[in-house]
Amino acid sequence: MKLSVNGLSKTYSNGVQALKQVSLTIPMGMYGLLGPNGAGKSTFMRILATLQQADEGTATLGDLNMLAEPHEVRKILGYLPQEFGVYPRTSAERMLNHLAILKGISNSGERRELVSAMLHRVNLYEHRRKHLTGYSGGMRQRFGIAQALLGNPKLLIVDEPTAGLDPGERNRFYNLLAEIGEQTIVILSTHIVQDVKELCTSMAIIHNGELLYDGTPDDAENTLSGKIWAKSIAKSELGEYQDRYQVISTKLVAGRPLIHAFSPDSPEEGFESVAPDLEDVFFSKIHSVV
Amino acid sequence: MYSTILKFELGYWFRGWMVFIFTAIIALLFFGASASENVRIGGDVENTNHNAPYVIQTYFAISSILTLLMTTAFASAAATRDFTYDTNQIVFSTPLRKWPYLLGRFTGSSIAALTPMLGVSIGLLIASIMPWNEPERWGPNELAPHIMGLLIFAIPNTLLAAAIIFSIAALTRSSTFAFISAIGLLIGYGFAENLIANLDNEQLAMLIDPLGVRPFQRMTRYWTIAERNTVTMSLTGLLLANRLIWLGAGAAVFGGCAMMFSFAERASWWKRRRATQAEQPAPLRFTQSEMPRVQISSAGAKAGGLIRAQFWIDLRETVLSRVFLILVAVSIINLTAILLTGATEGYGNNSLPVTYSVIDSIRGGTLLFLIAIVTFYSGVLVWKERESKLDEVYDAMPYPTWTTYVSKLLVMLSIIFGLQFVSIGAGVMYQASQGFARFQLGLYAAELLMIDALSLGFLVVLAMLCHILSPSKYVGYFSFIVILIVNAFVWFMLDWSTLLVQYGDLPSHVYSDFFGFQPFIESMVWFAAYWLMAAFMLGIVSVLMWQRGKETRFRQRFISGRHRWTRPLAIATSVAAFAMLGFGSWIYYNTQVLNTLLSSETQKDGQSEYEKTYRQYLGLTQPRVTKVDYEIDLFPDRRAMTFRGRQTIENKEREPIKQIHFVLAQNFETEIDLPNSKLTTDDSDLHYQIYDLDTPMEPGETREMQFTVKHETKGFEQGVRVMQIMPNGTFFNNMIAPQIGYQPNGELTVRSDRRKRGLGEPNRMAKLEDDCATHCANTYISNNSDWVDVETVISTSADQIAIAPGSLIDEWESDGRRFFRYRLDQPSLNFYSFMSARYEVAREKFGEIDIEVYYHPEHKWNVQKMIDSMRKSLDYYTKNFGPYRHKQARIIEFPRYATFAQAFPGTMPYSEGIGFVADLESEDAIDMVYYVVAHEMAHQWWAHQVIGARMEGATLLSETLAQYSALMVMEHEYGRDMMHKFLRYEMDSYLRSRGGDALKEEPLTTVDPSQGYVHYRKGSVVLYFLKEMIGEEGVNAALREIVIEFGYKGPPYPTSLHLLSALRKQTPIDKQYLLNDLFEKITLFDNRVVEANYRDNGEGRYEVTITFETKKLVANSDGRETEIEMLDFVEVGAFAKPEKGRKFGKTLHRERLQLKAGEHTHTFVVDEAPHEAGVDPFALLIDRVADDNLKKVTEKTGAE
Repeated sequence: MKLSVNGLSKTYSNGVQALKQVSLTIPMGMYGLLGPNGAGKSTFMRILATLQQADEGTATLGDLNMLAEPHEVRKILGYLPQEFGVYPRTSAERMLNHLAILKGISNSGERRELVSAMLHRVNLYEHRRKHLTGYSGGMRQRFGIAQALLGNPKLLIVDEPTAGLDPGERNRFYNLLAEIGEQTIVILSTHIVQDVKELCTSMAIIHNGELLYDGTPDDAENTLSGKIWAKSIAKSELGEYQDRYQVISTKLVAGRPLIHAFSPDSPEEGFESVAPDLEDVFFSKIHSVV
Repeated sequence: MYSTILKFELGYWFRGWMVFIFTAIIALLFFGASASENVRIGGDVENTNHNAPYVIQTYFAISSILTLLMTTAFASAAATRDFTYDTNQIVFSTPLRKWPYLLGRFTGSSIAALTPMLGVSIGLLIASIMPWNEPERWGPNELAPHIMGLLIFAIPNTLLAAAIIFSIAALTRSSTFAFISAIGLLIGYGFAENLIANLDNEQLAMLIDPLGVRPFQRMTRYWTIAERNTVTMSLTGLLLANRLIWLGAGAAVFGGCAMMFSFAERASWWKRRRATQAEQPAPLRFTQSEMPRVQISSAGAKAGGLIRAQFWIDLRETVLSRVFLILVAVSIINLTAILLTGATEGYGNNSLPVTYSVIDSIRGGTLLFLIAIVTFYSGVLVWKERESKLDEVYDAMPYPTWTTYVSKLLVMLSIIFGLQFVSIGAGVMYQASQGFARFQLGLYAAELLMIDALSLGFLVVLAMLCHILSPSKYVGYFSFIVILIVNAFVWFMLDWSTLLVQYGDLPSHVYSDFFGFQPFIESMVWFAAYWLMAAFMLGIVSVLMWQRGKETRFRQRFISGRHRWTRPLAIATSVAAFAMLGFGSWIYYNTQVLNTLLSSETQKDGQSEYEKTYRQYLGLTQPRVTKVDYEIDLFPDRRAMTFRGRQTIENKEREPIKQIHFVLAQNFETEIDLPNSKLTTDDSDLHYQIYDLDTPMEPGETREMQFTVKHETKGFEQGVRVMQIMPNGTFFNNMIAPQIGYQPNGELTVRSDRRKRGLGEPNRMAKLEDDCATHCANTYISNNSDWVDVETVISTSADQIAIAPGSLIDEWESDGRRFFRYRLDQPSLNFYSFMSARYEVAREKFGEIDIEVYYHPEHKWNVQKMIDSMRKSLDYYTKNFGPYRHKQARIIEFPRYATFAQAFPGTMPYSEGIGFVADLESEDAIDMVYYVVAHEMAHQWWAHQVIGARMEGATLLSETLAQYSALMVMEHEYGRDMMHKFLRYEMDSYLRSRGGDALKEEPLTTVDPSQGYVHYRKGSVVLYFLKEMIGEEGVNAALREIVIEFGYKGPPYPTSLHLLSALRKQTPIDKQYLLNDLFEKITLFDNRVVEANYRDNGEGRYEVTITFETKKLVANSDGRETEIEMLDFVEVGAFAKPEKGRKFGKTLHRERLQLKAGEHTHTFVVDEAPHEAGVDPFALLIDRVADDNLKKVTEKTGAE
């Protein structure tokens, strides 16, 4: 089963075109959606999660016309929004139980078992009676994944799930996702390039509502092979370099700017060829150098 | 630093729209109040200018209460802004100091909150230049009342409210709490008002009113029209003290807040305990295999389960929320206070806690809360998921949208029901605590759980829809409130009187123990069904438009809505639509085809046409009724009646009569059978008929005529028009018979209504100076009869007793119906009642006279009191005024759709809603039942024997004399002490009402029948004073003479001048001035004691010396006073210290002096230690400041 998106477009009432004719195919497994803030990732995911409507285009999951039958989509969907809150004065257990009912798990015995297993699974069981409003960011995120996994979704959409998590928690979270990805379509949006590299079998880069790349991370890197050059320069020289070269990224290394530039051929002296990583792909895509 | 923050704060508000919108709202409100005749707020009455200083100041008082919630919005936003927008960490880490910070925010927001109150001045100014204004209602625009309004009310009240709200908001860092405290403030205010009203210490009461309204009212209560139009109340005396105290209180609250406030970041203080940040939990684990397999039904969850789950989670959270608990607690406290302080019935009497009056109290105490809760929580529930940012998780779940809507609707309905149950519990407990065991649980359920809950339910549906369609919660609240207000007023303003357009409105009803809800039920049920269908459809729209997901645009939401538009829903909607249409048509057919529904404007148009067309016939020579035989068949079950009369008419004039005119009763069908005549004018719209006689009626000639007046209840009406005929408790009078000649009482009386229709000033009675020969021919009750003989055969259903005027001659049953024959023993006024109900009767004898009370079997509480009062009244009146000519005196209870008592010959209908349920247990109260019965009994002489001619001052002969007679019965029964209490009530009532008279104040001899405050209130005071001066026997001798001269005689009928001359004969020469002062002028005194002290002469002798001032004034009809010369009898006196718990001490000295105006010193000796002394100690003279008549006596030490 795979998810095909064809010509998806969305314009907001303020005139912002959030998605422009996006077409892509998402296979089983982890799928990374990469893009800077405001690229249209969340819009894309919300449309798939039935929370927004596309102006144009289609999305099908297997035989299911997702845009026409939102109710059917919701039955097989797990969704973790970028930001979410909870009812006040409600414990984690009560809330998860309530969401399980909404999910359609009507047998109360089964539901109780599932909720408790799920709380064990995300290790919130000891804290199940606490009010969710008192949870830390990490705990809340775990609660989020627990609710998204209720009822074994066939399509799991997680929007920037690691924001606010410490590195250890992030790793454990990804492990969890990876395992789920063995049997499920998992769409993960992030602006952290490394995450995609580590986790995803396929990926897309979206910028200003446009699909800039769709494929595997390796392929993406390969296209740039031999075309990325790095040089450590003085701060004062930065402007000059930016004028002369297609600088795709600048970061400070030991206080000095280290620039990466795109060039099919070797630029002037001092530049060293580096093996392109996904970050280079990302920056070169969003700066439209390739 | 302070000025920077202040500037920022002012900039913040004045760049926004809120200040201007609020100002515009207030301006519009008060513009409307003064530019339109239909909107009335506060003290704007007929004779006061629209921009009178008094009116303007009252407007400021009102607006300072109205703007309380606006103040809350400003102050709480200013106090919590940095927390709401999470800028506190940024702002508080700057080197700010807290005093300038708080003070800047506070003053800035207070200035913003004050601005809307300028709307009062803006609205009035604009209204004053409107082209349609009538110049006589506008005085010059003055600045002073606006300035004083701001200084007295706007500024102090805003600062006080802002200080409290700002402090609470700053300390709790929660605007919700600030709003609750604002509501608390309002309720506390109402509560305090209640307590203050019962406070004996008037000075204290004036000081503790936090909004300053009470001292203002108290200090202006006796203002006359002239004063209201010209005087601006300034900040003086207790008003100033009050304002300073409360400004100080505000400053103290703010200071306390500033001391406690700290920039340190923390959770709200009441949350601190809870917000324990979780310790780092054990790491995530994960294995897929651990997960149990669960079954998800392919159809998604079952609707029932979903609704249940959502219902409970929402109900739990709502009910457990702090705001809700506080609202409910406050509501219960308020309700308890209202129940305990009780609804006062008059003269300090309370009503027994009968269920309907407890229900009225519950409504008064909780309805606003319920509406507030409905308004507030409808929004909370609709926005709950979005506000807690749960919506994305939530909306992606596979449940059908309608289940959420339905569960939230059910939560709201359960809250309403729950609260109503709590109220009922409180009501029952209150009844039980009063030892009152007649709990009418069915009545509670019908009123509160059915009627009110239904109306509130309709509101919930509307409120939720408003929120569903609104882009934000605040727009939702705003639009709901706007719709509520529009729905409440617009139909009235458009003059559409059908309730079919007024969303959720049910026809009004009155419960009575006599007939339950019976006459109203059918109409209410159909309207309820109609609005249920409407609400159902609004519910469908709500489901379709429910925002699911992140799309806010309507286009997208229509698209989502289409997915929800399923076949069953479509079918249900069309069924509801058809049902609504069907119910609506059925209601229309019943209320407007079978019955007539007149809007009030149409009705007034009719009255105007009536006057314009037929007033020309006023005074036309017409025959008079001399004898009537009635045959009346009542059918209580179907609320029907046939009322047949055969009457003898006589031409008592000196010219022949060619035409007879009749005015027919509205809402009844009338047929007239006037032999040998031709109907030439038949105006069915204005209910007027003219018959031309074939042969003129010669002077002295009598003829017979017949009429039939029918009422048949057809279908149902929106409002029951013929309240007189009831399934149980029928009460009507003979005025439904066709009236001979033009009847001026059908004319419009309100000036604005008349002006709008091109009619002049209201037609008044003939002037007293006019020629008695023409004007004394008619009584003020009737212009087509004198003393008539009446015989009646009346039939009703077998279980009811029917009563007609006179003695019961015969009684029989036939065809399962009960028949009665009554006959008047004494020709009487052609004005009497017919009644029928399932009565219990109490009978006693007073000599040959039957004393009877006909009452509802459950209402036996005060029956014995009534009988006692009738007995005592008969005793006093027969001894002092003359014989009673009927063979019976009856009090007959009628249903509570009206609350009055009325005297007809020998019979006195008395409402279920008053005397029968009055609580007479209290020792201190004046016995209202006793008094009313004595008053109505006195009418058997004063109205039914001696009746005034149709001229000014006519009611002096009936109402004032009845009032005096009742006072005498009371004095003989209860003693003089109670009289002071009673007279104080009357005096206060008189002085208060002067400024609000729609006519101009008249002296007693020329009083208009509409001036109750003159003929009842001033009349009591004046006649009691006259009695004090010339003695009871003197007054009574004059009254006896009047009875002998005019009793059952006429025409010509007596005028007030006849009474005056009879009194004059009984008045010694040195007191003759009194008659002129009391009856023919508006005389006032301004007496006050300056100094009062005493010297202990030993041997129990105390020499009291008082220095006092006297002044006599005469007022014109506007209340403008002029001092006049005085040589009047005035009392001085002294009292001992009152015993504990008593108000008055023993009278030690009472002496009458004849005094000129000016300062006097007087010395007298008493033989007990004096406590108080002064001038006019019993406040018998009309004095606008009676408080300064007495003074505590101080001991004078040392030798002179």
